[in-house]
Amino acid sequence: MKPKAAIIGLDGVPIHLLEDLAQRGVMPHTKELIKQGNLMKMRSSLPANSAASWSSMITGTNPGTHGVYGFTDFIPGTYTVSFHNSHKLKAPPFWSTAPEKRVLIINLPAAYPAQPLNGTMITGFVSPQLEKAVYPPDLYPRLRDGGYEVDVDASLFKKSVSLFLQKLEETLDRRTRVLDHLLEKDGYDLLFFVVTGTDRIEHHLWDAYADGTHDQHPEFLGFFKKVDDAIAHITSKLDPDAPLMMLSDHGMGPIETAVNLNTLLREEGCLVTGDTPRKNFNNIREETRAFASESSKIYLNHVDRFPRGSVKPEDTPKIQGELVDLLSGLRYNGRKVVKAVHLKQDIFRGPETGDAPDLVVTPENGFSFKTGLFKESLFEEDFLSGAHTEDDAFLYLRGWSQDDRLPEHPCIEDSIHVFRKLIGEKLDAA
Amino acid sequence: MQHNEEKTCWNCPAALLKGNVDFRACGQSIAVIQNKISEEGLLIECTRRPELGMFEPSITFEQCPEWRETQYGYLLKEMRVMILGIDGYLGWTLALKIAKLGCRVSGIDNYLRRNAVAEKGSKSVVPIADMETRLKTAKEQHGVDIDFRELDLLDRDELAEYLREVQPEAVVHYGEIPSAPYSMVDAEHAIRTQHNNTLGTLGVLFLIKEICPEANILKLGTMGEYGTPLTGRPIFEGLFPADAVLTWRGQEWSMGGELTPRDPASFYHVSKVQDTFNVYEACKYWWLRSYDVMQGVIFGVHTEEVAAHPDLRTRLDVDEWFGTVINRFVAQAVLGIPLTVYGSGEQIRGYLALEDAMECMVRLLSSPPEPGQYDVVNQLSQLYKVKELAEIVARVGSRRHGLTVRIQRVENPRIEADEHPFLVVAKKLRENLGYQPKTPLEVEIDRMFTLLLQPRVRGRLESVRDTVFPKTWWSGEHKETMTLEVYEPGTHVMAGYSPDLVVSDHDGDE
Ligand SMILES: NC(=O)c1ccc[n+]([C@@H]2O[C@H](COP(=O)([O-])OP(=O)(O)OC[C@H]3O[C@@H](n4cnc5c(N)ncnc54)[C@H](O)[C@@H]3O)[C@@H](O)[C@H]2O)c1
Repeated sequence: MKPKAAIIGLDGVPIHLLEDLAQRGVMPHTKELIKQGNLMKMRSSLPANSAASWSSMITGTNPGTHGVYGFTDFIPGTYTVSFHNSHKLKAPPFWSTAPEKRVLIINLPAAYPAQPLNGTMITGFVSPQLEKAVYPPDLYPRLRDGGYEVDVDASLFKKSVSLFLQKLEETLDRRTRVLDHLLEKDGYDLLFFVVTGTDRIEHHLWDAYADGTHDQHPEFLGFFKKVDDAIAHITSKLDPDAPLMMLSDHGMGPIETAVNLNTLLREEGCLVTGDTPRKNFNNIREETRAFASESSKIYLNHVDRFPRGSVKPEDTPKIQGELVDLLSGLRYNGRKVVKAVHLKQDIFRGPETGDAPDLVVTPENGFSFKTGLFKESLFEEDFLSGAHTEDDAFLYLRGWSQDDRLPEHPCIEDSIHVFRKLIGEKLDAA
Repeated sequence: MQHNEEKTCWNCPAALLKGNVDFRACGQSIAVIQNKISEEGLLIECTRRPELGMFEPSITFEQCPEWRETQYGYLLKEMRVMILGIDGYLGWTLALKIAKLGCRVSGIDNYLRRNAVAEKGSKSVVPIADMETRLKTAKEQHGVDIDFRELDLLDRDELAEYLREVQPEAVVHYGEIPSAPYSMVDAEHAIRTQHNNTLGTLGVLFLIKEICPEANILKLGTMGEYGTPLTGRPIFEGLFPADAVLTWRGQEWSMGGELTPRDPASFYHVSKVQDTFNVYEACKYWWLRSYDVMQGVIFGVHTEEVAAHPDLRTRLDVDEWFGTVINRFVAQAVLGIPLTVYGSGEQIRGYLALEDAMECMVRLLSSPPEPGQYDVVNQLSQLYKVKELAEIVARVGSRRHGLTVRIQRVENPRIEADEHPFLVVAKKLRENLGYQPKTPLEVEIDRMFTLLLQPRVRGRLESVRDTVFPKTWWSGEHKETMTLEVYEPGTHVMAGYSPDLVVSDHDGDE
């Protein structure tokens, strides 16, 4: 039995990259698909990290509703960073609202640990233990013995670029083989497959994409060729006209300079740290008004949220305003650094906004944000060459009825609603 | 400000490192691991708060709802503590104390001590109840449930099962044969002591590694491990401080962090030294965490909890094998035996009242070392010369209880330096763990007299009179110990070296 519909996720692929590689013949199958369907630009979540964006995708809600603002969060009443896990998702993912459908989900980011569902789940990055990344559990030994890897060790890039690239391809191959095995064994209504190597290679080798003379330019294109093959392989498992959605969770752009946001805050007197032997947020002192975490999130040191909090609720708007001014005014060699500063109250809706960062900052093209607490210099070189962008992800639909209206400026949280419409009656007829 | 409020998950036995970071058995130094944490973001899980998922080990005790404030610092709520040797002098006393503080206490004992004292023809002069009665009375008097298993800790299968059941967050290891003279009786006693203590501890370490590797191990050593170096060099807390330097042939080497020399004074003390190495290695190989407690000689009978009911009293031995010096002096004073000072009586030792020892143990429970950290504390409140102790006991006995007390110098059956300098460092409990000695020597001696003079206790004391005089010679000879001199208290002056106790970095600054 073939799956009746599919979703393919390409982590971190901006629309212009997809169009470009399709046009250039690097991704011929994708080019064919684009012809058959509708491709449009899509906004990512704010912040544009994969934990927040995939959570928005699977729940069809804003972070203020699903409660996931990134891979890390602060445990209430502490400066301790806790890591995302699937139990923290506060809104139901789409498969749980249609439990009669059998779903096969492979490599979904930020879904660890795998939770029971009608079907099969192998979670994507970050999954510390493969054993807990798998549902049902009896699938685990097969994955372990087959050398399945959730993610490629990014530190490999520094040690050996060729090994890194080889690992990216291997990981993708193993994933598609697992897909074959599972589809042979069992029937599913819906297939959901995510490719994450795209995000990894773009982070490390964006310059190799942009620069045709770069040593790794052919390898960069080669990997996307592999991704195109995988897309062809996955779609071959469906009927030719079966509903198909493809999307990315955010885009990507070049980095020339990294900006240490906490260094800026310290220089402006907003952040005051002590010096405990461990370089974590426990160093934050009471005089602190704001600090940054996980690249783009800024938290005020709220009295009722942090142990040495000092910002009172009534002072929040004033400090938010000061930070907007400070960040918007930042220049590097005369160039503006910050594209936008979003206030919590403007971007988050829902019952979970209490845990939200107070501001989310997005960089101008060419800049990335870092949030180490003890960095000396405000600007430095980034060891990555690509950074997330929030306004140029893509959404692709095959089988969209021409009678229906497409959303005009879709955002990632709309995608699952669009998909429901796309499959409409077709899936129910099973 | 509590001494441990800034400790973090890194010090908490509920933080699950196993499985989250694969560093056990890798022999890396703690510095490497710390680097990993700050640079790669090591994450842990909490056995008590699974809902937190994975997080940085940086929640402070003050911030964590699982740690509760007590007069001894923050203490893990309902901490599961297993006491090995729970029927003993210290084990039982600690069990009651920490159970009252809210710990979930379990323990094992094989009654080795009760039997060994009987072998000597003696018994605890303070009557003690059997374990069943003790547990029942603890429930009635203090409302606490203590779980007990009669078990030889050398029986690893049984102990493993019990550890699995309890999943202790701390293990207090008192379960050893604690007597120097006993270990010097003959080959059989020496071998029994070393077998029980050394192999027992080694087996326990393997089980902890398997079953509860995050547990805080409080291992009892003794100040006797260090000996009394005649050069008068300082007795540090187990490990050389960072600024200690070895100079030889004009060259200098840092000694910081290395184990200090040990110079045990009996086959019992040798077993303790061997334990020290085994615990040290286990921390290094498997990232266990331990305090090796170099304890001074304990004296006294009192804590609030044991004094609450006769059936809760802890044992008190005065025989030449198991009695410790102050306890024996008080007994001798009651019996009218001149207090037996060995040799010149100029030996200097560290001492600590039972009540203070218990407080120290609670503080150590409240502030576990980091994974892989082997830490040592010298646990004592004061240094005294043996002769000086005899004087103090005599004084309290005569002034407060109207006894006529005399002192006798006897041949020293031990091989030890009669006269020696003694410079002891005991800073950590005071500086890092907030301990201040509470029970003055005279006060506790007075309490002991009051208890031993009760007719029932005095009667028991009379019945063990024959076991009090020293008979066990380190030379192995079987001979009477001769009295060299009997004298009136106050007639001998203290001579020679004076005790030197360093309790803070500022000592000697003036
Ligand atoms: N009392 C002191 O002055 C003093 C001073 C320094 C160090 N220590 C150390 O403190 C610890 C406790 O001392 P204590 O005075 O309470 O002695 P204790 O003999 O009263 O207590 C030890 C307990 O452990 C039990 N035990 C011994 N071997 C065992 C085994 N194999 N299995 C199960 N139980 C076993 C004994 O039956 C006894 O009840 C000892 O390790 C001792 O060396 C004591």
